[in-house]
Amino acid sequence: MGFLTILKKLRQKEKEMRILMLGLDNAGKTTILKRFNGEPIDTISPTLGFNIKTLEHRGYKLNIWDVGGQKSLRSYWKNYFESTDGVAWVVDSADARRLADCGRELRALLREERLAGATLLVLANKADLPGALSLQEIREALDLDSIKTHHWRIIRCSAVTGENLLEGMDWMLDDIASRIFTLD
Amino acid sequence: MSLVGKKCESISLLDSSKDDIKPCNITPDDVLRLDRITDTYLCSPEANVYDIDFTRFKIRDLETGTVLFEIAKPPTDFGVDNEGADDVQEEPLDPNAGRFVRYQFTPQFLKLKTVGATVEFTVGARPVSHFRMIEKHFFRDTLLKTFDFEFGFCIPFSRNTCEHIYEFPTLPPDLVEEMIAAPFETCSDSFYFVDNHLVMHNKADYAYNGGINN
Repeated sequence: MGFLTILKKLRQKEKEMRILMLGLDNAGKTTILKRFNGEPIDTISPTLGFNIKTLEHRGYKLNIWDVGGQKSLRSYWKNYFESTDGVAWVVDSADARRLADCGRELRALLREERLAGATLLVLANKADLPGALSLQEIREALDLDSIKTHHWRIIRCSAVTGENLLEGMDWMLDDIASRIFTLD
Repeated sequence: MSLVGKKCESISLLDSSKDDIKPCNITPDDVLRLDRITDTYLCSPEANVYDIDFTRFKIRDLETGTVLFEIAKPPTDFGVDNEGADDVQEEPLDPNAGRFVRYQFTPQFLKLKTVGATVEFTVGARPVSHFRMIEKHFFRDTLLKTFDFEFGFCIPFSRNTCEHIYEFPTLPPDLVEEMIAAPFETCSDSFYFVDNHLVMHNKADYAYNGGINN
């Protein structure tokens, strides 16, 4: 029995997953997290640290970490990589000006060894805004098609309307589950 | 709607200017083994050398979305409040003030199915690593629930929140009756560790007879 098999078995007992939500500041990470958990989203201030939610969803015990995206906080992201099963990278679809910056930060993240096995879900948030870029435009700007190291998917969503949040999360959970909970 | 919970003691400020680390030999394993509420605090208030400060507690009912209980430190408490300080005779401070909270709930509280419990806390200038909470709830000598959660790393000067959404433990009806009939005999110990060192120990007790006798 290989080490990986043992790990899988250990994890399987609790069906626990660790999800890390990252992205530039004002992308909507906290709003997505709150919307996903049925909390009001009318008074959300910039995250100057982290917001954690632990919950059960579809029989999985999810630990979701939303870490602040301000530039001064990004150097601390690495402290949250350990044991991460999935990364939800949140993009502000209406912030064309910072899309290059967004792409650079994502690239840096994907080079991290401790995130090597993680599933990547790109949430193109604020898709309901009038000035929002199309999914294709974001996909190209972030050069997602060149990612060969991670399972990834991009999905348009809106934390305000709730559109696609569950679908995105469920895809990520299924992808993680197929990697870590399936034996032989 | 009826008052589901209220808090009787305020969260008072912990003095936040400590430099010496008082050695504290209590480990997570030690407190995990405890089978009753402790008689004393297992560390001094000065053990909190990281200036970890709890600024909000909130409990919501996931079924209805209702906030059942919320207490936050007023923003004025965050800064130095000197207003009228010259005239006020300083009362001797209870060193354990702020480590103990008393909650008063109505019996309906024990019928909840899914609740979300949020804490918000700030940390001081030093980065905090391996921040872990172990919380044990007892009714008399019966262990009701143990929480064991690792927050991990906390950014210097950060403000952080953590919400645990969980199924309320199903308690036998006779135990529920006993808990309602015996206010403040439901107690909890909350232990906070940084790098396996105990840095905070808070206590709380609970009554579930709100709206019945008073």
